[in-house]
Amino acid sequence: MSRVIPATGSETLHGQDTTEGDVSRRPDDASAPAPGPAVLLIPTPALAPPEPRTRRGRRRALGLVVPVALVALWALAGAAGFISPRLLPPPAAVAEAGWDFVAGESTATLPGVVPFDGAAARHVSASVARWLSGFALGVGVGVPLGLALGLSRRAGELLDPLVQALRSIPITAWLPITLVWFGLSEGAARYLVFIGALFPIVIATADSAARVPRALVDTALMLGTSRSALARRVYVPAALPGIVTGLRLGLTLGWMSVIVAELTGQTSGVGAMMFAAREIGRLDHIIVGMATFAVIGLAGDVVLRAVSRRFVAWSEG
Amino acid sequence: MTAAAGAHAIPDVLAVRDLKKSYGDVHVLDGIDLDVAPDEVLAVLGPSGCGKSTLLRLLAGLEPVDAGEIRIGDEEVGGPSPDRPMVAQGATLFPWLSLRGNLEWGPRATGHADPAAAADELLEATALTGFADVRPGQLSGGMRQRAAIAQVLANRPPVLLLDEPFGALDAQTRLRMHEWLRGLLAERPTTVVLVTHDVDEALLLGDRLALLSARPSHVVERIDVPFGAERARSTLSDPGFVALKARVLDLVLSA
Ligand SMILES: Nc1ncnc2c1ncn2[C@@H]1O[C@H](COP(=O)(O)OP(=O)(O)OP(=O)(O)O)[C@@H](O)[C@H]1O
Ligand SMILES: [Mg+2]
Repeated sequence: MSRVIPATGSETLHGQDTTEGDVSRRPDDASAPAPGPAVLLIPTPALAPPEPRTRRGRRRALGLVVPVALVALWALAGAAGFISPRLLPPPAAVAEAGWDFVAGESTATLPGVVPFDGAAARHVSASVARWLSGFALGVGVGVPLGLALGLSRRAGELLDPLVQALRSIPITAWLPITLVWFGLSEGAARYLVFIGALFPIVIATADSAARVPRALVDTALMLGTSRSALARRVYVPAALPGIVTGLRLGLTLGWMSVIVAELTGQTSGVGAMMFAAREIGRLDHIIVGMATFAVIGLAGDVVLRAVSRRFVAWSEG
Repeated sequence: MTAAAGAHAIPDVLAVRDLKKSYGDVHVLDGIDLDVAPDEVLAVLGPSGCGKSTLLRLLAGLEPVDAGEIRIGDEEVGGPSPDRPMVAQGATLFPWLSLRGNLEWGPRATGHADPAAAADELLEATALTGFADVRPGQLSGGMRQRAAIAQVLANRPPVLLLDEPFGALDAQTRLRMHEWLRGLLAERPTTVVLVTHDVDEALLLGDRLALLSARPSHVVERIDVPFGAERARSTLSDPGFVALKARVLDLVLSA
């Protein structure tokens, strides 16, 4: 059974750590999955070995150089009148909007109107709730399904082509049918996030379960482990590093699906705020929304990595 | 002996009758007959690819036989069992568990012994007490091999199957492992089938040798090893040992 698997194994990263200062070859970047159908991912930090503090500090500082320079250029170009504020408001205006979003005074709004000032908590919590519930459903369905695909030759033969086909459908292409099934509803939003998170989880789980060495299973049996306990005692722990890689991809893709999910008539959510801002022409609000997506998405990955680290430490040498 | 009743209820005797096995067109075993007395070490030698590993996998119940019979005591071998575990060259400890976790696995699964006590005892027997909380990935090859043998011994199996257990180790470490295994088996008498390429190893550890022919293989020669329990490194230069080794080498090479 051949599967397209994101090449995210941390083992490929070890020993690459000598390219100090070469931002384009940071070992951190190597965890980005190989480009695949419908997969567009921000490079995320890998399960990389720790590096010395000072070097890491310098690396991080270097990573800020280009963004800071771009913002400065952006501000200068705006001040010099090269960029119309209607196309790109200056950084100061965006920063101010960001402040209003987080700490501004919230005003009473009519039903159906999406607020902005002081509404960061409301929108972020709505988006995160969609994200996490869709992701949780993706884990609940994806891990068992992936185990079945990986462990049962028959299940693999039956379902692998279907999974490969479905995973090639971009999340936006799921939107119309989802709207027909669920209407403009919270359910539709969560379903879309679920679909977005599901496939990387299924595929990584199936692949890593199928790769569990036969000798490990034989040893467990020869130690008296019952066949019914094999999945729990051997396959899941042995496949866990691969499953965690799938969870990280699923979490990231789930978050990317949130913006599509909020095309389902929501009045709260970061994406909902951005679509409302587009209608009233508030580009500064839209950019604040984009920045919010970046920050929350990264934070989610950092948290998942921290939580999973102790479970997969053994596979990191 | 602290073994629970279950582990030793079966008389320790292994009988193989007219065992046959093919993989597709590859005819591997062609009627193997073997008898191993209780607590005896049978060393199995034979040309590469003749089916030694296949034989052990069948004895371990990891693969079905095509024809013939494997009996341990009065029980016919079915699937894998903690009563006749096999340890092969690439030690298969569970990499996510500590050494202690690995040693406790068997007794936890079978209830044949108290897990913590069995692990303590085996950590000492393998001289790995200081490594109890270390994961297998951090052990040396020799340590891992000792640990893998200890792991299956935790269930006090009446029969132990070893497939070139020290084949990947350097010569010095291998000699140390021979002495270690002899000591261990003296403390815990166990019926052992030891597959090896190394005639020294066969003569240092075996009570008897069985020589297999090339594929399709059968037993061409059975040899009693005349050295007693006091075998040690010095035995390697004993004239009787040297003569027997020469004879066995001739047989292996002409098999
Ligand atoms: N699962 C299998 N499927 C097909 N052929 C197999 C399988 N296992 C073993 N064989 C074949 O059976 C023959 C015996 O293999 P086996 O590994 O038992 O030999 P061996 O005596 O242990 O060899 P070595 O001394 O090199 O370890 C070989 O020709 C091998 O290719
Ligand atoms: Mg072999």
